[in-house]
Amino acid sequence: MKPDSLFAKFDTWIIRKLRITCEDTTPLISELMDHSLPLGKRIRLKLHLAMCKVCGCYQKQLEVIRSLAQKLGESDAPTQQQVTLSDQAKTKIKNSLKQSS
Amino acid sequence: MLYRYTLVRVKNPDAAEEIVQVTLLAALQAKTSFQGRSTEKSWLFGILKHKILDHFRELKSRRTYELTPEDGSDPLENAYQSDGHWENAPKNWDTDPHKAVENKQLVAAMSQCLDRLPDKSRNIFVLKEIEGLSSDEICKEMDIKPTNLWVILHRARNQLRKCLETHHWNLKK
Repeated sequence: MKPDSLFAKFDTWIIRKLRITCEDTTPLISELMDHSLPLGKRIRLKLHLAMCKVCGCYQKQLEVIRSLAQKLGESDAPTQQQVTLSDQAKTKIKNSLKQSS
Repeated sequence: MLYRYTLVRVKNPDAAEEIVQVTLLAALQAKTSFQGRSTEKSWLFGILKHKILDHFRELKSRRTYELTPEDGSDPLENAYQSDGHWENAPKNWDTDPHKAVENKQLVAAMSQCLDRLPDKSRNIFVLKEIEGLSSDEICKEMDIKPTNLWVILHRARNQLRKCLETHHWNLKK
């Protein structure tokens, strides 16, 4: 057997060993957002993402969700409607502040 | 502003009112300790953040954050073919994370979708993605195992994805 074809077979074997499905990939994408992954999982994930545009799309969606959540947490983030304390609640808070001062 | 900030995090208007009230009372009692090293606004928000975390700790004392069968399944459970590839591929949202936050309609849709999450998922997601607590801190505060935390966060993200696809991206077309 020629060395070239031996390498080709080895490459194919390695890729087969490292290949994971989209179903295996999505939890890893989410997990990677929370903590670092062990080397083996990281390599499998990178290899899959290099070949699968759909999972790349999923990863981007989760990044968009993270950015939106962070924006929503800011004190001046826009929401569907203007939310303010009810007049009743304002009065209640004013009274409790008066009592404690 | 304090109320809106709180409501995004705790969802329940009564609880949000209560937190704003105890924050203002705490600020009033501690006003002599305010040394002007930060603005009054950031000092007040600092107190508020502590009170919000106290609220989550109190919720934990009343319920478990470990996964139970009532928590339902992952929305992606039936999203794959038998060979593990996508059955319904995720749509291309055609926006990047930095531009997405400039879209007020999308931020508002996210707010609505967040409120549709089950309470347990919502609280954990808020602590992670809005309050910015580390996974270790959440596990310690909420008394859950790391594997459960990842499952809860993964499901919450998938529910938010599904909700945004249905209520925002579909409407755009």
